[in-house]
Amino acid sequence: MPRWTRFRKLFGLEPKGDVDAEIDFHVEMRIRELIDDGETPERARRRALQRFGDLDRTRRELMAINQRRRQRMDRAEFLTELKQDLGYAVRMMRRTPGFTAAALVTLALGIGVNSAIFSVVNGVLLESLPFRDAERLHVVQMLYPDGTRYTSLSAPDFMSVRAEARVFEQIEAIDQRNVTMLGAGEPREIEAAFVSGGLFDMLGFTIATGRSFRPEENKPGQSQVVVLGHGLWQGVFGGDPSVLGRSITSAGISYTIIGVAAPDASLPDAVEAYFPIEFGPTYDANTAQGRRGEFLTVLARAGTDANDATIDGDLKRIGAQLQSAFPDSNDGLTFTSRPLREFMIGDVRRPLYVLFGAVGFVLLVACVNVANLLLARGSARHGELSVRAAVGAGRARLIRQLVTESMLLGLIGGALGLGLAYWSTQALIAARPADLPRIDDIRLSTTVVMFTFGLSMVTSLIFGLVPALQVTNRHLLLGLQESGRGGGGGRRMHRLRSTLVVAEMALAVILLTGAGLLIRSFIALTQVNPGFQPGGAITLRVTLQGAEYATADQVRNRVDQLLTRVRELPQVTAVGVGSILPLGGLGALNDFAVEGAPPPPPDVNQEIAVAGASPDYFKAIGAPLIRGRVFTDLDQPKSPSVVLLNEAAAKKWFPNQDPIGRKVLSSSPTPREVVGIVGNVLQRTPGEPAVAQMFLPYAQRTGRTIRLIVRTNGDPMAMASAVREQVRALDPNLPLAEATPLADVVSRSVARPRFYTSLLTLFAAVALILSATGIFGVMSYAVAQQSKEIGIRMALGARAADVLRSVLGRAVGLAGLGVIAGIIAALGLGGFLRSQLFGVTIFDPATLGSVSAVLLLSAALASLLPATRAARIDPIRAFREV
Amino acid sequence: MNLPAPEILRGTLDLLILKALSWGPSHGYAVARWIEQSTNDALAVGEGTLYPALHRLEERGWIAASWGTSENNRQAKFYALTRKGRTQLRAETASWQRYATAVFAALDAPALN
Repeated sequence: MPRWTRFRKLFGLEPKGDVDAEIDFHVEMRIRELIDDGETPERARRRALQRFGDLDRTRRELMAINQRRRQRMDRAEFLTELKQDLGYAVRMMRRTPGFTAAALVTLALGIGVNSAIFSVVNGVLLESLPFRDAERLHVVQMLYPDGTRYTSLSAPDFMSVRAEARVFEQIEAIDQRNVTMLGAGEPREIEAAFVSGGLFDMLGFTIATGRSFRPEENKPGQSQVVVLGHGLWQGVFGGDPSVLGRSITSAGISYTIIGVAAPDASLPDAVEAYFPIEFGPTYDANTAQGRRGEFLTVLARAGTDANDATIDGDLKRIGAQLQSAFPDSNDGLTFTSRPLREFMIGDVRRPLYVLFGAVGFVLLVACVNVANLLLARGSARHGELSVRAAVGAGRARLIRQLVTESMLLGLIGGALGLGLAYWSTQALIAARPADLPRIDDIRLSTTVVMFTFGLSMVTSLIFGLVPALQVTNRHLLLGLQESGRGGGGGRRMHRLRSTLVVAEMALAVILLTGAGLLIRSFIALTQVNPGFQPGGAITLRVTLQGAEYATADQVRNRVDQLLTRVRELPQVTAVGVGSILPLGGLGALNDFAVEGAPPPPPDVNQEIAVAGASPDYFKAIGAPLIRGRVFTDLDQPKSPSVVLLNEAAAKKWFPNQDPIGRKVLSSSPTPREVVGIVGNVLQRTPGEPAVAQMFLPYAQRTGRTIRLIVRTNGDPMAMASAVREQVRALDPNLPLAEATPLADVVSRSVARPRFYTSLLTLFAAVALILSATGIFGVMSYAVAQQSKEIGIRMALGARAADVLRSVLGRAVGLAGLGVIAGIIAALGLGGFLRSQLFGVTIFDPATLGSVSAVLLLSAALASLLPATRAARIDPIRAFREV
Repeated sequence: MNLPAPEILRGTLDLLILKALSWGPSHGYAVARWIEQSTNDALAVGEGTLYPALHRLEERGWIAASWGTSENNRQAKFYALTRKGRTQLRAETASWQRYATAVFAALDAPALN
């Protein structure tokens, strides 16, 4: 029926006819009057029309007024009805508090996890990076012959790229490292960025007080200035505005504080203070010196017309130039780049979207559950709805009322969900793996709130519309009584509810399979032999900087004193120092060659990870010596150069040969003798096999930042304060990092997989619980509806066990369908998870088997109560109730 | 009718319509006739002005329309004053009287000196 007909009661006729009739009547009355006055009918008609004037214009004007009025009334009517519906909805919610609570909890869970994960996705992936022209920023990287990339450039290579590049408008560098800070409270180590002059300007990095760096402050001798990060200024200087002009001391040099960064100013990696890079002699595009000492992160802003191909072409051109100009250092090496955005968030995008998809499934399960609840309640409300239909409410009107009720549920659920999201976002941030990028950008922003609102509305439609359509079917509208319990309509409703349960079971299976695979991967990761003994040792970082440590000898002497003192502590079984920790990264990479060996094929990296280690380093970390000897106290700076190789290096450079006694060349013209082979120790994550690594005696490769590792046969953390005391006793000005158990490096290395795995497991558990509730609801309802049928069967001799078995069997049958559908879908979606898997494939029978078992079992458990209820049905009572 | 009719003042027509309906419901033609006769057609309210005014008053809720049978047994749209319209009529009548009194007082006032 067309919409306007409902106004028939107001106008008597349709609007156009209404206006015409009114005007016709008027003209006719006028004609009659004129005839009465003695005019002829024709003249009377002419005069009447003449007097009326422009008939059409008046008609149009009247139509316009009526149109406007109708719209206003439509709106008013809509609002009145909405108010009615809302009032009604609130009454319904109050009358069935159990239903309301169940629906709201389900929705709050479903929407809440979505808002929480969306706030992470939005903050980390969607919001633009907090830099000027962020989408044009790139990271320039080294590209090695075997196709691997390295994110740092050497100083001369940086200067060459800076001088030669045509596609970039600006190229700047960051040298990020820890430095000691004296002159402000306790000596401390701070994360510092040494930057080239234009970096702040390029990134749009703002200074809150004071000034930024001047170009000449990169020149040697003029770099003794520092800009404090906002956090350091607040934390150490108490936000004191008079801090400008004061100075701090680092490595024996005094730096004048010239500025404080704005609170939201940041670099791609968070740091606490900013210094100008001092452009020493290697900052020269034409020098051959220092080309293979990579330590600068190089950021560049591409021109507006640059694209990936032109950028890559330009960098390759510069790479080729350097290869011919500096064959000794740059042979086989070239440059490439990655957009800064990809560089920062590239490796978390996939897992975050997987999590986002997972919570989408959780929400679908929640929707299905609430739809099921609504269907169950819909049958209970059949009488009420029939009455409303009988007094003239059309189907559309009833559907609108039901959908309004759903929307109200959805919106309240969404509001609760937002609360849950706020709380769980805080929990997420607290539990995040330390290296999740952009963690500070995760918050409940307006976007997140809008997302939640939209999601609530869409959700309401999803879970509200199907039940609304179903309970207002034609039986209701024709005023037909649903033909008793178990009749046609009831059976159809039951079939719909069963289908929904199968769907949510399938969704739960998908999530459980994903979670199961991640759990299996995580277990596999933690079972990888790390190559060292994480338990029973602590580690402590010490940085020796300042006037007392001007020469390597001074540093070495102090480290020797420290080792001697700590070794004498009770319960210490081994103490060593090294430049790196296991699972602490590759450290420095140097070129490598075996003396007398033919040059390796061009696609093999002639590079090796290099670390310094004291004699007891390997004993302290618990790594085995495979062959030969470890370092001794006789390996001194002046004694013959010696090295240890790990097994990977021995295998790579000395296949089927004995490396012991062979000479190797690496970043020094003096050959070094291989004296031993040590076992592979994990360097990056348990998922990445150890790469070739070479250890030099600490005495021959002395660094200022050392990792002290103390192994004890007592409680390792109890040692921490004793070790700190020894360091303090030697030099109270040494900044000391917190001592941590060596085992922490292991848990930190699997922090990301643990994060993803725990979240996905949590979501799968929520989905499992929801779907179990769903099957419980459907079976309870079925038993209640069929009590008569069951009664008859029992009267005919069925035993309680048969009834029990039949109900359980049906539940497990539904679950079985869900399992089959879910596994098929899970295998199809498995590809999204592949990059997160380790040591397990998506066709993992153990996972699929246990997921199926868990689901069938939970379905059986959930229907145990309805089944026992069915088995206790008293045939006599069942008949009486009919 | 030879003199040009004065332009009807804004709001005046509304007042006249409300007044016309104050004795009971009537259709648009009767309202038109009453205005013509009571003002000797001096205001020359054309139908092109009257009917939109009627519909606007209805839109504002001052009058209500319903279909009924006219004196000559024809279907006609009858307008009746609503409670809101009656209040409006009283208010506007009073305001008109004040206005007219003031203008007349000024017209009768002695000359400037």
